[in-house]
Amino acid sequence: MTMTRLFRAELRKLTSTKMPFAFLGVLGVIAALNAFAVIAGTDMDGSKAFIATEADQRSLMAFAANAFMGAGLFGAVAVAREYGHHTVIPTFLASPRRARAVIAQLGAVAAGGAVLSIIGAGLTVIAVAVSLPTTDYTFLVSVEHVVLIVSASGFAGACGAVLGAGIGAVVRNIGGAVTSAVLVLIVAPPLIVQLANGTASWMPAPLANVVAGVGNGVSTPAALAALAAWAVLPAAIGLIAVQRRDVV
Amino acid sequence: MTPHEPTRVVGAGPGDPAAEVDLSPGSPDVGAARDQPDAQRHDREPRSIHPGEGAPMTTSSTATLPAAAPPTDLGRTAITTGHTLEVDHVTKRYGDHTVVDDLTFTVLPGRVTGFLGPNGSGKSTTLKIMLDLAAADHGRATIGGHRYRDLTNPAHTVGALIESDAFHPGRSGRNHLLILADAIGIPHARVDDILEQVGLAKAAHRRTGAYSLGMRQRLGLAAALLGEPDVLILDEPGNGLDPQGIRTLRDLLRTHATRGGTVLVSSHLLAEVEHLVDDVIVIDQGRLVTHGALCELLQSASLVRAADPNRLADVLEQHGATTQTEGTDGLVVRCMDIAEIGDRAFSAGIAVRELSPHAGSLEQLFLTWTTDPTDPEEVVQL
Repeated sequence: MTMTRLFRAELRKLTSTKMPFAFLGVLGVIAALNAFAVIAGTDMDGSKAFIATEADQRSLMAFAANAFMGAGLFGAVAVAREYGHHTVIPTFLASPRRARAVIAQLGAVAAGGAVLSIIGAGLTVIAVAVSLPTTDYTFLVSVEHVVLIVSASGFAGACGAVLGAGIGAVVRNIGGAVTSAVLVLIVAPPLIVQLANGTASWMPAPLANVVAGVGNGVSTPAALAALAAWAVLPAAIGLIAVQRRDVV
Repeated sequence: MTPHEPTRVVGAGPGDPAAEVDLSPGSPDVGAARDQPDAQRHDREPRSIHPGEGAPMTTSSTATLPAAAPPTDLGRTAITTGHTLEVDHVTKRYGDHTVVDDLTFTVLPGRVTGFLGPNGSGKSTTLKIMLDLAAADHGRATIGGHRYRDLTNPAHTVGALIESDAFHPGRSGRNHLLILADAIGIPHARVDDILEQVGLAKAAHRRTGAYSLGMRQRLGLAAALLGEPDVLILDEPGNGLDPQGIRTLRDLLRTHATRGGTVLVSSHLLAEVEHLVDDVIVIDQGRLVTHGALCELLQSASLVRAADPNRLADVLEQHGATTQTEGTDGLVVRCMDIAEIGDRAFSAGIAVRELSPHAGSLEQLFLTWTTDPTDPEEVVQL
């Protein structure tokens, strides 16, 4: 019962500011860019080979990797602002067992990240489908694959949001949390790949592509587990940090 | 009296043992008081306080308070389960800096208690420890015998205002309260009621970022009151409030205490506190300086006019009193019973022209308690 109440409160936190709408705006822009790419973009040779096959179109629409990164920023901002604006104080007063509050927050942020990512994937699919008739090609992707693309985005978005939330809980100010999330999501993966051979397939973007059905570096179950692990590790660190720290 | 001596406590006057309850740990009164139903505790006779009869300040580290005054208006909304707040030898360090140092005090239901101290004296940290927002290195703080974290749905027991700015600037005041209502399981209708009560109904849908400081204080107060708690713990609730808001706050806290609720208010607005509180707890540098009924504290000094005030001051200070010069031949004497002052003057052969109880202002007393006269910088800071 307590968890349900806290989860509902955390969802209201997310929906009672303009932040999600800002992310929705970004998703609209991304979808529009995809539509523009389909309408006006060409390959190096001037052809439109990048949308010629079903696999090409799926690759273009695969949103999971973007969802992971975008939701990571969403989660980092959503949680860090709680500390920045001290709104975590009434939360912890309502739920002094902080683990419950943090888990409810992680759950709400994951849900928010998933919803935003599903919307982003949906907008991208719609943008591509709507703009393809302006070319010589038709929409070739099956409904099953569209569902896979959208659901993979939802999963990756949830994982990314939890990862960002963990970072936000540790760093606790919005600027620092966003910077840290960018470091973890964008800067760190290529560095890790360069430092440790054979890790390329285990970075978030390739894993998200596997989940979306447009990559094959590892098996789908392994990709699901690894993507979840990317999220759980920082979230666990954040959970421990929140329980041990004083609220100042 | 130097500001950093061991704890000084004002108790009841001599010959008035029934008028006080020692709630210090280990005191026999503690068990007795705890064993009584709360209603019985409220039923104790209020003590009558006669100027000049305040007991001499002692140097015990425990805090002695007069019994809670009986609620005068136990209407249909009377609180029947008053919660005593107890801070028991709490110490808190940040690195090498001791912010709260072996602090012990008790706050009784049915009274408004002011929690005073200079900036950085450890007030907010103590309140955070009481609310489990910060962990004590030593000791414990309880609310009705339970740690805050062990209370079931604590917002129904304790309403707290800790940060006046704990709002997202892009969120409306109403949404802020709806979030809290969701978290503690309160019907949304209560949110509208409480917004009306604190005078924010018209601004309920405005972003809190557009609120004035006073409006934010009202919203914080609304959040504290949302769960209809028995205990209110408020950190600087009067900041930014206009006179009407101050009066509303004063009435609200007084009504809450009269109904049997427990109210602990931290503030540096001494003039306001003087009109608001029944008891005060004063800390400085994390240590308890004094703790007692405000009316007693204000009247715990004596004015003596003597032929040789300087020599009398020396004599009295040798026996533990503190003195301040008053006019050309007067001394304000604290920490010594009025009868003892007369005896000491007589023994020293100093002619006394006047010896009477002296009531000072809270500000005067506060400065006496918390200013180290040997440290000019500290005087400037205050």
